[in-house]
Amino acid sequence: MKDYRFSIVSAVFLCLAMMVSVARAASFTASLDRDSISLGETATLSLSFEGAQPKNVPTPDVPGLEFVNSGTSQNVSFINGAMSSTVTVSYSVTPERTGRFVIPAMTADVNGQRISSQPIELTVLQANAPPAAAVNSGSEVAFMKLILPRRKVYSGETLVAELQIFLRDDVQNFGNFQMNSTIADGFVIGKSAEGTRFRTQVGSRAYTVIPLSLALTVTRAGDLSLGPFSASMVVVLPSQNQGGDPFFSQFFNQGEQKQLTVATEQVSAESLPLPDRNVPANFNGAIGDYTMTVTAGPTDVTVGDPVTVQVQIAGRGSLDSIKLPAQTGWNDFKIISPTSKTDFSDALGLEGTKTFDEIVMPESANIHALPAFSFSFFNPDDGQYHILTHPSEQLIVRAGGATPMPTMIAAARNSGPENPTPQDILPIKEKLGTLAQVPAPWVASPAFIAVQTVPVLAFLGALAWRKRTDRLANNPRLRRQRAVAHLIEIGIGDLRSYAAENNSELFFTTLFRLLQEQLGERLDCPASSITEAATDDLAACGAPESLLNDLRELFQQCNQARYAPVRDPGELNSAAAKFEKLIAQLQALKI
Amino acid sequence: MKSRLSILFAFLCAGQILAADFASDFSAANELYAKGDFAGAAAGYEKILHSGMVSPALLFNYGNAEYKSGNLGKAIAAFRQAELLAPRDSEIRANLGFVRNQVQAPPVQESRWRDALGQLTLNEWTCLAAMALWLTFLSLAARQFRPALAPKLRSATVFLGVLTVFFGAATGVQAVGHFSQRSAVVISDNATARSGPFDDAQNAFTVHDGAELPVLDHYGAWVQVADGPGRIGWLSVKQVKLLPGA
Repeated sequence: MKDYRFSIVSAVFLCLAMMVSVARAASFTASLDRDSISLGETATLSLSFEGAQPKNVPTPDVPGLEFVNSGTSQNVSFINGAMSSTVTVSYSVTPERTGRFVIPAMTADVNGQRISSQPIELTVLQANAPPAAAVNSGSEVAFMKLILPRRKVYSGETLVAELQIFLRDDVQNFGNFQMNSTIADGFVIGKSAEGTRFRTQVGSRAYTVIPLSLALTVTRAGDLSLGPFSASMVVVLPSQNQGGDPFFSQFFNQGEQKQLTVATEQVSAESLPLPDRNVPANFNGAIGDYTMTVTAGPTDVTVGDPVTVQVQIAGRGSLDSIKLPAQTGWNDFKIISPTSKTDFSDALGLEGTKTFDEIVMPESANIHALPAFSFSFFNPDDGQYHILTHPSEQLIVRAGGATPMPTMIAAARNSGPENPTPQDILPIKEKLGTLAQVPAPWVASPAFIAVQTVPVLAFLGALAWRKRTDRLANNPRLRRQRAVAHLIEIGIGDLRSYAAENNSELFFTTLFRLLQEQLGERLDCPASSITEAATDDLAACGAPESLLNDLRELFQQCNQARYAPVRDPGELNSAAAKFEKLIAQLQALKI
Repeated sequence: MKSRLSILFAFLCAGQILAADFASDFSAANELYAKGDFAGAAAGYEKILHSGMVSPALLFNYGNAEYKSGNLGKAIAAFRQAELLAPRDSEIRANLGFVRNQVQAPPVQESRWRDALGQLTLNEWTCLAAMALWLTFLSLAARQFRPALAPKLRSATVFLGVLTVFFGAATGVQAVGHFSQRSAVVISDNATARSGPFDDAQNAFTVHDGAELPVLDHYGAWVQVADGPGRIGWLSVKQVKLLPGA
């Protein structure tokens, strides 16, 4: 009874304690896992509600910060009999720029109360390149270097910078590489291409280097700067917490992921204006190192006929921006604006060929040559202007009606692979064509595969037939055996019909001949030499006595029939049945 | 027998009526396209496509309409499907190349031999391989039936055998590409690839409309794609159009 009372009191006390603890004032706190992060890193914002379930959990909204809900967790604990419950809503905070950000106070509805959190600050710093000492000591898991090929460049020049990503030798894997900032003052960053990875020694550690080439175009003269570039990545490093045998851990260490932010140093350069001296007359801003090929055709035309002049500028530089310079000496031609296409031969879009197709039409029969064609460019490597000239070509221009219409080269090319760069997609098709279901691959159809076995089976059948034919051809005895078997098969039919006709003479003549054929085949001797005496030879071969007796009886019947024909059909049928039985025994006899 | 012929006749008539309907729908969509109502035209072509019937011209026009409506990804997907049906159609290749050039993504580069294999459809390669196989084995069988022909047929048989191996290998490569190397064409403006197949997973990277990415894996309504070296992320299937590899 005492125990029962004690239990009730304890339960009531416990309930009261729980009610008291639940009835405690609810609280709402906002906290960050870090006060300061680098651009590209992610911080975690935790909104904790203690004592009750929150309603209308606010989503922070701060310009420059991106908040992504990363989950909700709940923690219930009993401490000294007091129960506490905490609900935590987590957000990933990703900054979009550097600076100091204030996440303002947020208000939530908790247990019917409106509770506010405190404002919190987050400082986002620009990621900086690690100091040289840290790099040389091998303490940096990863770092980046930015390399410019020259510090003196020309305005308008295109060049290739290299961004090198160094990964320490203990990095097992890396991924989610993302450039966070690519600051370029006075440069335009173009295409990029990954180069061949290599290993190098930096200080005391080996590093894998991932080179990334960047196409840059200098946009102005003066002092320029490139970088710092910053990037984030996830690397997998050997786990430090797995313990155990170091020998086995080297095989079974799964590694742990770590998010890193790396940055380069700022690289400065001086951009020079293009020289004022010795500027070619038709220089129109082409910078790089080029060669030129000019072809023209047809060269025997009538006045007003089109001649296609194809100019190919090949080399290294900003091919996209190249334009054909205005040409002097082409006043006697009507010129139609050229079309162009660019074929790049490298991944960065800095090397290749730009092809111009210009259609010119001679306006006078007095023209005897296509004028010379020139193109000039500035080469930043030697700091000089260069002029490329294609000499004039002979052109025969006839007065109108003197020659048949020449072939329109430009029109002909429109159907070939060297089309000029199209300006729009090709028009729609007018005819629907044959509608059908999307065809299933035949190769996956069991019926199709089954059909493909037919030629294989046909070949195997032919092979078997050939083997059998060859075997027969090489074995006369077997051939005779088969021929006799066939003869016997036909002969038995004849015997039955003679028996039915009661034709004793033909019956026994046929019977005797069949016996001769079968015994001749069995004893491997001519059929004509077989008489009743052959039974002795058969006996020597081990034939059973019953068989020999039956044989003798049949021979005797054949002999008797010559002198005293049998008139009873039943007797003939009986002889035929006996013959069949006898033949089966003879054929089964192993000699 | 009569009833069977009647059923066959009814099927043929129904097929003819259906084909006529599709042709008129196609013409109507073409008219909308000509008037500049590209979205309307795309909807018209899509209506025919929803019936499960396709033709290279239908997919080509649908791709054009989607491109003109600003949907690069849907246009690329349509041109690629058209290319699967008619790989040697130069107009389809031209428009596919043109639209690919408009996409903000690394250029799609196919090796030369892949390009050469792509000149024929998988079924065409299969047909060639089957024909070569039949001829090879029929030639072998003929040599068995007529041994006198063996010396004359020797070089032809060897040639046919080599052809069978070549066409068979090409079919195999195409089939592996078709069945196991799927690709995804992004059809939404800026699709965010996530680090896991969940809406709440961290952002991995962003891809633009029309980007063509190889599919590495799938999980529920998510596909894992690779975007360049070391960049792997998960995209919702709503953001992409999945295509067979070859």
